[in-house]
Amino acid sequence: MSDDTTGPADGVHDGTGPVLSLSNVDGGYGEVQVLDDLSVRLDPGEIVCLVGPNGAGKSTVLKTAFGMLTPWTGTVEYHGRDIGGMPPEEIVREGIGYVPQTDNVFGSLTIDENLRMGGVARDGGLDGVIETLYDRFPIIDEKRGSKAKTLSGGQRQVLAFARALVMEPDVLLIDEPSAGLAPNTADDVFDDVREVNDMETAILMVEQNVTKGLGISDRGYVLDQGTVRFEGTPEELLNDEEVSQLYLGG
Amino acid sequence: MTVLGYLANGLVFSSIIVLGSIGLSLVYSIADFANFAHGDTMTIGAYTSLVTFGAVGGLGGAVLGLPYGFFVALVAGIAAAAIVAVGTEKLIYEPLDVDSIGLLITSIGIAFIYRAVIQIRFGSDFTRFDLQPLRPIESLVPYGVRITLHDLAIVASAVVLVVGLHVLLQYTDLGRKMRAMADNPDLARVSGIRTKRVKLWTWVIGAGLAGAGGVFLGLFNQLSPRMGFNLLLVIFAAVILGGIGSVYGAMAGGFLIGMINQLTPFFSTVVEALPIWPGWLATALENLITIEYANAIAFLIMVAVLLVRPNGIAGEGAT
Repeated sequence: MSDDTTGPADGVHDGTGPVLSLSNVDGGYGEVQVLDDLSVRLDPGEIVCLVGPNGAGKSTVLKTAFGMLTPWTGTVEYHGRDIGGMPPEEIVREGIGYVPQTDNVFGSLTIDENLRMGGVARDGGLDGVIETLYDRFPIIDEKRGSKAKTLSGGQRQVLAFARALVMEPDVLLIDEPSAGLAPNTADDVFDDVREVNDMETAILMVEQNVTKGLGISDRGYVLDQGTVRFEGTPEELLNDEEVSQLYLGG
Repeated sequence: MTVLGYLANGLVFSSIIVLGSIGLSLVYSIADFANFAHGDTMTIGAYTSLVTFGAVGGLGGAVLGLPYGFFVALVAGIAAAAIVAVGTEKLIYEPLDVDSIGLLITSIGIAFIYRAVIQIRFGSDFTRFDLQPLRPIESLVPYGVRITLHDLAIVASAVVLVVGLHVLLQYTDLGRKMRAMADNPDLARVSGIRTKRVKLWTWVIGAGLAGAGGVFLGLFNQLSPRMGFNLLLVIFAAVILGGIGSVYGAMAGGFLIGMINQLTPFFSTVVEALPIWPGWLATALENLITIEYANAIAFLIMVAVLLVRPNGIAGEGAT
């Protein structure tokens, strides 16, 4: 271990407590353990990227944070409150959004209906928020009445973000936003991630494309075998010889 | 009887099959299992309305040859089917930690229980609604169509229920949530849909429509404890033909299977009229295409359609 995994990072947003934190979490699927004493935190307004080899447990971190998996031990805290094991449909109401990697739109529903589904937990102001999102993402505005399955990969990803943003979450968990996208489209999607972040949503993201993922992030964690091996700013991680040798494909 | 006559009968029978098929498909797509107790849910609706009709039968005037009391009994049948289905979901299916095959097998047991309870109370004999049998509608008889006002009431009620379901699915919040759940249950939860609640509503709607189908089946034929179970395979055929999990497919499949079922006598007259050679083939076909084999013929056509369109008429199974 060449890096300290528990100490404070030189995050840009010091001074307030983390908006989301996983502390000493063991967890996984059924009997299969994936996460091993894992601790990760997200400060207000940050973009944090989780990188690491396949099977390192990156997506599992998001699923555990979002209540799709219950942590075996350890805590998941949102604004200091334990939400470990709370079901996803309730976590959404707390202010966390989640964009799955695949199957992240309702293909047989229209764009408009997809966004309405994103806002089922809102008390009101749904139409206003949806209009704002159409303004922000004109690419889906043009296709309001079309079924989501007619969208291209990049358009789907935008719709998936927009659906999660209807709740105006404090925190957005994004699983591999660039998966399956052509390089140009992936760049657009990363721009969108930044834009979402400019709307004061903190983002915890898993990304295979390490350079691009870290490139738009404030901090990053390198995961391996279900635990954090390295933590630091993108520069620190990308320039660390051991990190790049072992985990970032040289 | 003329072709028109067979088509009219087909329309009446289809209406019943469609009501049964929709619920089966809806529950399949949202609660994620093939409910073998669906036929007996129809029976529950039928017998509840029989009892209710016995109590309120004479009520008020009449619509389409049916006293107002019959419609009260219809609503009671729908409600009972829905309540029993929701109760079963809450007490049995939901607490069971089994996969969809486990649920399927459980539902076979549930079907036996429903039927046994009805049989204990009503015996296994046939019975019917205490209604004056009607003569066919005079003005249609010259066209070879011999349907009664009761048959018309069945078709009209089924149309109202199907249109109502369509409006619910397409234009209400609950309907959109149901479609979202059928499309992608995980994403539905991620979006904040309280899926257990939507599932219960699915049971209410699916079983309620089955209850209505059961009442109409009782009106069309007669009632017996096996009436729903006997129809279940035909309903499955309709649902699979339409594309299992698709509500609109179930409507289409139910319509086709019901039609084919009632058109069988017409097919046999066609076969008799055709110069089929060799003679043994003609004899074989004449013997096979008879009303006794109506269900088998419906299944053969289902198999033929599935060979061409493996996912059924509605394809991917999107609600």
